[in-house]
Amino acid sequence: MNSMWTVMSFTMRNKLRSKSFIVTTIILAVLLVVGSNVPYFIDKFASGDGATKVGYITNEPGDLIKGLEMYYGKQEKPKVELVPIEAAGSADANVQALLQAIENKEIKGYLTFAPNEQAGFPDVTYHSKKMLDTDTQQSLQAAFQEAKTNQAIQDAKLTDAQLKLLFDPVKIQAVQISDNANGKTAEEQGTAIGLTYVILILLFMAVMITGQLIATEITAEKSSRVMEIIVTSVSPLKQMFGKVLGTFIVGLVQIVVLVGATIVSMQLPHNANSFKSLGIRLDTIDPKMLIFAVVLYLLGYFLYAMLFAAIGSIVSRTEDLGQAVMPVTMLTLAGFYIAIFGLTHPESPFIVACSYIPFFSPFILFLRIGLSNPAWWEIALSVGILVASVLIIGWLAAKIYRVGVLMYGKKPSLKEVMKAMKAYKV
Amino acid sequence: MNPLVVNRVVKQYGDKTAVNGLSFEVEAGEIYGLLGANGAGKTTTMRMVLGLIMPDGGEIRYNGKSYSEEQLRMLGYLPEERGMYPKVKLSEQIVYLAQLRGMSRKDAEANLKRWLDRFQVPEYYDKKVEELSKGNQQKIQFIAAVIHRPQIVILDEAFSGLDPVNVELLKSTVKELRDEGTSILFSTHRMEHVEELCRNITIMHKSNPVLQGAIRDIKSRFPREKVVLSADAPIEGLETISGVQGVTRTEQGYLLQIAKAETAQDILKHALAQGPIQKFELLEPTLNEIFIRTVGDRHE
Repeated sequence: MNSMWTVMSFTMRNKLRSKSFIVTTIILAVLLVVGSNVPYFIDKFASGDGATKVGYITNEPGDLIKGLEMYYGKQEKPKVELVPIEAAGSADANVQALLQAIENKEIKGYLTFAPNEQAGFPDVTYHSKKMLDTDTQQSLQAAFQEAKTNQAIQDAKLTDAQLKLLFDPVKIQAVQISDNANGKTAEEQGTAIGLTYVILILLFMAVMITGQLIATEITAEKSSRVMEIIVTSVSPLKQMFGKVLGTFIVGLVQIVVLVGATIVSMQLPHNANSFKSLGIRLDTIDPKMLIFAVVLYLLGYFLYAMLFAAIGSIVSRTEDLGQAVMPVTMLTLAGFYIAIFGLTHPESPFIVACSYIPFFSPFILFLRIGLSNPAWWEIALSVGILVASVLIIGWLAAKIYRVGVLMYGKKPSLKEVMKAMKAYKV
Repeated sequence: MNPLVVNRVVKQYGDKTAVNGLSFEVEAGEIYGLLGANGAGKTTTMRMVLGLIMPDGGEIRYNGKSYSEEQLRMLGYLPEERGMYPKVKLSEQIVYLAQLRGMSRKDAEANLKRWLDRFQVPEYYDKKVEELSKGNQQKIQFIAAVIHRPQIVILDEAFSGLDPVNVELLKSTVKELRDEGTSILFSTHRMEHVEELCRNITIMHKSNPVLQGAIRDIKSRFPREKVVLSADAPIEGLETISGVQGVTRTEQGYLLQIAKAETAQDILKHALAQGPIQKFELLEPTLNEIFIRTVGDRHE
């Protein structure tokens, strides 16, 4: 037991102090902090920049402009501000005046109207130097639409009651049904999807990065031949588990740093409001989800870490490692992408079936817990299968490891490994 | 009870026998030579002694006890393929290896400093292994093998890649360990080292021990077939003496190949008749010759 701790702390100290680890962690943390400020900056730029100024000639169809102004007058932060430009007499002079206004930065673009008798509504053209951005276009479209509707309604001479009936918006309330009386509201569901997504990515990254790390280290020890001394000092089993545990703690430290940086940055006063307006609130997170996230992270990590360790032990040169870990990488990718697909269909039979397959279940069971409401026995069964596979894979990996670390030369075939496993008694 | 007893061990890989019924004992304070051509089964033998692989037959006893994890800790191993962590500070990895063998961190650090002083390289303590020359890495590797004061040390090609000065330095260290009572299992292709260091040897060939015993006894079993002769004046007619198989002129005189030891007396008489002799010696076979004969003969 003692030497396992020695291996663990040696692995840990070397990794935590290595430049590459420190640099990667800092870069990732900076990216995350910047990323968590993005909603704030979007808000800032969107509102601070104010409305797009759109010019028009004062003698244009009066009703229409009045309708537009009424529409924007009702809005708190209109995206478009209408700027009247004095008519200059002739059409050419008008255009000149409008262009001059653009030059003077009084307006960004201007509207012209050409009568269209057939449609009963003038053709509208927007002129500007830059492309019309979608925000402004949608805003103008909606404004004209309303103006047009109002015009039509006025023509139809409806009563107020009829009008109210026509315009009262339809309301759909979304509430997720759950065992406990208060289900998740739409807002909580949004948070749940976001959180599930974030944790899935974390889980995936943790498994991939630390798994690769373990495999690389073991292969490096083999190719630098340090392995021969190590395996004569400590049993391969203890060495492998020491390594897996040590790297686990390294991975954990990295995750804690990254998540910590993100949460702190999200809680900063200026960011907190932006996230709230997006419907992301940390205090609505279901603690059950977090507990399962930790449990599944642990199980998933050990399952994959031991696979990676076994593969690392078979390969003798780091150049060959990439190819050798490919199948495991594929397995992780498959689990991750199935889970991403499941974000929108958490109860499809395919997803439910996958949540019992050990290599996928860390991702997919979490997805189901986060977004649907699996029965407790479903969770228990899936976790049970996962725990059993961790034990089986651990035992198998230890056996492969025992044999693999002493095999040099070309990458052995599966048959050779099996044969050697019989020759060495663990 | 000798510290290391190997008793009729057998190891098979599939249908291939890697070691076939090998027995030997290493006393305390003895360097035991394990010789053999490449692929003769030396590495397999050492791996069995190290407990990396279990013998299929026979047994290995350490101080009379069979293999266990505690026994591992009194072993020291210098593998033929050298290896350290290239990017880890030297002190850290040596202390780590010593800790794995059950030494406390403090003891290991103190011991390492002592060893570095002994090799006159105390400044290496904080260096990374990749910064050191090959020969110096070798010394560090040696320290790693003996830092925990093992009772049994296994040295596989201990002196390869070292310059003569460092070979002497390491050789004297190995002798010192022996004099302190360490049992050393020594494997090399350099016969002159074996002759200098070992009392008993085993020569292995194709998995079988073909020659075993004290070097002196082994040598006496092989006939003396070489005569060195030097005189002031050239000596004529050496080829004509019956029993002389060949004569080679060297800078110092003559080297004669003879079939029987008695012929040497005839040569001496013949030479004395022609003038004063400066040097006459009936050479005993070198270990190198014995090795080539034992192993080479069976190659056909």
